[in-house]
Amino acid sequence: MTNEAEVRDPTGYKGALREWLLRKNIGVWSMVRVKKGNAIYEGVVLPRSENTSENYLVIKVDTGYNIGIYLTEECTIEEIGFKKGEYKLPDVTVRMNKDLPKVTLLGTGGTVASRLDYRTGAVLPAFTPQELFSAVPELMDICQLTPKKIYGILSENFKPEFWVKTAQAVMKEFENSADGVIIGHGTDTMSFTSSYLSFAFQDLAAPIVFVGSQRSSDRPSSDGPLNIINASTIAGYADLAEVVICMHGNTNDTYNLIHRGTRVRKMHSSRRDAFRTISDIPLGTIDANQNIKFLKKDVKKRGKIEETWLDAKMDERVAILYFYPGMDNDILESAIDNGYHGIIMIGTGLGHVSSYMFPALDRAKEEEIPVALVVEPLFGSTNLRVYETGRDMLARGVIEGGTMIPCAAYAKMIWVLGHTKDYNEVRKLMQTNLRGEMITREPNKGYLLFQGVEPGIDEMMRKLDPNPRFDAFR
Amino acid sequence: MKKDFDYESLGLKIGIEIHQQLASKNKLFCHCPNELQGTRTPDFTILRKQRPVLGEEGKFDKGMLVEFLKKGSIVYEGYYDCTCTYELDETPPFHINEECLDITLEICALFKTEIIREVHICRKNYVDGSVPAGFQRTIEIGQNGKLLLKSGKEIGIENIFLEEDAARRIKTEGKISFFRVDRLGVPLNEITTAPEIHTPEEAKDAAYRIGLLLRSANKVKRVIGSTRQDINISIKGGERIEVKGVQKLDWIPLLVKFECQRQLSLIEIKKDLKKLNLKPSDIKNKTIDLSKFFKNTPCRFVKSGIKNGQKLIALKIPGFKGIYGKELNPNRRFGTEVAEKIKVLTGLQGLIHSDEDLRGKYKFTEKEVNHIKEKLDVGENDLFILLLAKGIPLENALDIILDRTKQAFKGVPEETRRAQDDGTHIFLRELGGEKRLYPDTDSQSFVISEERIQRIKESVGPYPWDIIDDYSKKYKIPGDLFEDLIMRGKLQLFDKLIKILPDNPTLVIRTITDMLKVLHRENRDIEQLEERHFSTLLKGLKKGAIAKEALESILRIWIDFPGLSLEKAKEKAGISSFDLNDLDKIIQEIIDKNIELIKTRGRGATGPLMGDVMKKVGRGVVDGKILSSKLQQLMSPYLSNKKSTKSKKGGK
Repeated sequence: MTNEAEVRDPTGYKGALREWLLRKNIGVWSMVRVKKGNAIYEGVVLPRSENTSENYLVIKVDTGYNIGIYLTEECTIEEIGFKKGEYKLPDVTVRMNKDLPKVTLLGTGGTVASRLDYRTGAVLPAFTPQELFSAVPELMDICQLTPKKIYGILSENFKPEFWVKTAQAVMKEFENSADGVIIGHGTDTMSFTSSYLSFAFQDLAAPIVFVGSQRSSDRPSSDGPLNIINASTIAGYADLAEVVICMHGNTNDTYNLIHRGTRVRKMHSSRRDAFRTISDIPLGTIDANQNIKFLKKDVKKRGKIEETWLDAKMDERVAILYFYPGMDNDILESAIDNGYHGIIMIGTGLGHVSSYMFPALDRAKEEEIPVALVVEPLFGSTNLRVYETGRDMLARGVIEGGTMIPCAAYAKMIWVLGHTKDYNEVRKLMQTNLRGEMITREPNKGYLLFQGVEPGIDEMMRKLDPNPRFDAFR
Repeated sequence: MKKDFDYESLGLKIGIEIHQQLASKNKLFCHCPNELQGTRTPDFTILRKQRPVLGEEGKFDKGMLVEFLKKGSIVYEGYYDCTCTYELDETPPFHINEECLDITLEICALFKTEIIREVHICRKNYVDGSVPAGFQRTIEIGQNGKLLLKSGKEIGIENIFLEEDAARRIKTEGKISFFRVDRLGVPLNEITTAPEIHTPEEAKDAAYRIGLLLRSANKVKRVIGSTRQDINISIKGGERIEVKGVQKLDWIPLLVKFECQRQLSLIEIKKDLKKLNLKPSDIKNKTIDLSKFFKNTPCRFVKSGIKNGQKLIALKIPGFKGIYGKELNPNRRFGTEVAEKIKVLTGLQGLIHSDEDLRGKYKFTEKEVNHIKEKLDVGENDLFILLLAKGIPLENALDIILDRTKQAFKGVPEETRRAQDDGTHIFLRELGGEKRLYPDTDSQSFVISEERIQRIKESVGPYPWDIIDDYSKKYKIPGDLFEDLIMRGKLQLFDKLIKILPDNPTLVIRTITDMLKVLHRENRDIEQLEERHFSTLLKGLKKGAIAKEALESILRIWIDFPGLSLEKAKEKAGISSFDLNDLDKIIQEIIDKNIELIKTRGRGATGPLMGDVMKKVGRGVVDGKILSSKLQQLMSPYLSNKKSTKSKKGGK
């Protein structure tokens, strides 16, 4: 019952209602009884989120539903109890099988698993080994998985400095003889981070696997568990020494794709199979029974971990400008004025920008600020020799990014500028394939975007729905 | 069953939950059409796995349901033209459909509930795979309403929820469940009453009245399956049992009666156990493996099970002799309940217990039975149980037996059960799992404005049962005709059409109910018929342009060609236009040809002549009554010397 000594905090409530709650010493997790006319409402006061209307009290009633009561002066409110949401660890004994590979899961934000506190309605991230293993018990049989949280930031709040910290954290795990490292990452900017890590690691001898979930882990349908199970298998067993992203291959829970970290991109805002390798096929697949199949011959194999070293230099003064019809010169000028050291420009078609932009390109050349072009269509390569505009651009010193996708070009320039500001050196490195970010041969199958009208597409899609395997989950 | 119970002294409490689909144009959280696709072959399927989310789940959920479900796969079937990525759980919800919210507010007004001013979308976890997301989105909109029963008693309406329907279960093959997502996201209202209903008849009336009240709302679905009801039943000393899937109102009284009987029997068991001085702790998880001894048993399924690697294990329950065999409902014993629970939760076939006829039913030998008794040290009053399974299902089934048997000491366990058409019901899941809600992180709360609530409140008319009484008095015809109109959502149409034919309410009702039923049975799409069709039709009837007999055939034409004028539709129906002035001439001609017949048979000739007239005029062209009276009138001169008194009626 009510503990008089405690001061309640009406978290998130604003204005007159907050004052009122403070006066009555009612806060979040207080059990309250509200009388409004003939109606009586009883429930637990919940925190109020930002950007909501004032004067509404949110309570969780005994049916479990949340309701917002509009409080006016004629209402009465009293505290009839208090129950704070308590967080108990699940009862799981973590047994590590010493014969299994050692894998570290570095958490950077987002969750692989969550716990629900039904009493308060809160979603609590599960990240301790106990939590993780009780949510996804299969992990215990795959590897000795050690979860470590390095920070908890949303994908969109990532900055290049976090890329470096992440890379250093991975390196530390390799130094402690991890057989592979998994990085739990928000999906929105995952491919930026995976690109940077690709460049930063030299003589990488073990897999670094990025993983996330497109459906939050607090729901039974989350793609997270299969993704982490598969990522653990790759990190622990795959003969692979690259930075990769491992996410669902299609909308079914049947297989994941293993994408090269510099060639992959989020191509849908919400689908499970959002991640696609661009202009090429993925490195391989891993099915729901954790069978790995490599599809490309140039997959880098594991080596001696002692030889791996980290070169995580960076210069984050790089901007991405997206060319659009009518784009004014002043944007590029402004980037130069603001002291950016390098620019990635997304140009139309083969990589063009309008001739109105030329004065700014001239200025960039003059000030030796590298401007690298990548293609707006995402698939395919730059080629600035086909049209007059392109040749004019080349004459102004722009760098052709080839088949690099924008996020990879951006991360690469940040890494390159961390090493040298020399214009010619930068140009040379930007045009050299370092980590598979540039492909010279674009296979015909690299561009498979169906429109749903192709003859036989319905049959093909039916075939894509795999014959269900009941033992897919052990 | 022996007798009716004295429900008052039993302390019977019943609450009802009704689910009603709304007839909005689109689904609740996406823009797909709110239409079921019936038996249409789906265009595509997808395969998913679901796993329970960690919560403060009891041992049961985690230990068993989880294991069971983890191994299963779910196949969702969809259609290219009416399934979007929302139904496939590939995109977050769109803003709630405003039409659905308006319909819900109307229903809240009908039940006189208070409206939650700021509504919060919640998730209710579903573990059976019927929702691709693994949870259903649901919102509480109304609270504290009331419902007036026929007896004058008022019961409380606790809540009205607006939620999305789950996908349709199509079939289960092995461990794959097939669901079709056309029903997923269809808007539903859930209406729950307070447990203030105290007799089965009251329950039936309440369910009937809720149904009628819902149907009196503008946009609710009215087809089979669009309304589903669940019933909560408890008695003094018992517990709340939720019975789902009560499809017919007529089931309710029997169902309540059976449930009272069941709870009373369970309470009796509890008392018996107390008398026997038994304790739950007497029941020990100590089993023996009989597989070796039974590998050549005459019981065929046990023999083949053992051959296929299953284990036959036995367990003693001290002092339970007779309890597993105790009948709770006709042909349903305590042992049946335990077996069903095992079946539902583990997929195993059930169990064998010593209150059954082991030698007759299962063909076990005396030697085998004695072997078990000896090995388990089964005494005079003890029961033993046999279980055939292996691995995790075996462990889970054993847990279920121990748990359920121990629950016998407490009497009635709280459960959700599924109604069967014989009035009994079987275990579905543990109660309470349903109430596990958490906020939907994919959506924002929003405010329902006072103006909107008021506007909808004002648009709501009187109670349907009052309407039925009023109309019945006004039009002097039985109330059930109007009840039928309300159930079919046709009262407003009636109100408009009765203005055309104020003297013939029965015909107006027949046109928009019975005739449509006939056409519907012919598998015709009666949705094609609109108000204008009916009003044109009845106006034509009033003017004499068509006969009563022709109404149905013209409607039939309009279903296929809704754009045709009355004249054109008549033509298409083979009803020629007819000038009433010609009628005398035609009838006279027929009479002239049949004078002999009239003379010999008198009024008895009316029948055959009527047939000729109809043939000549065409069926449905002129009202049969008019034809008949005209015929009698023109016939009368020829009848004057025979039975003239009887022909008076026709000739004036």
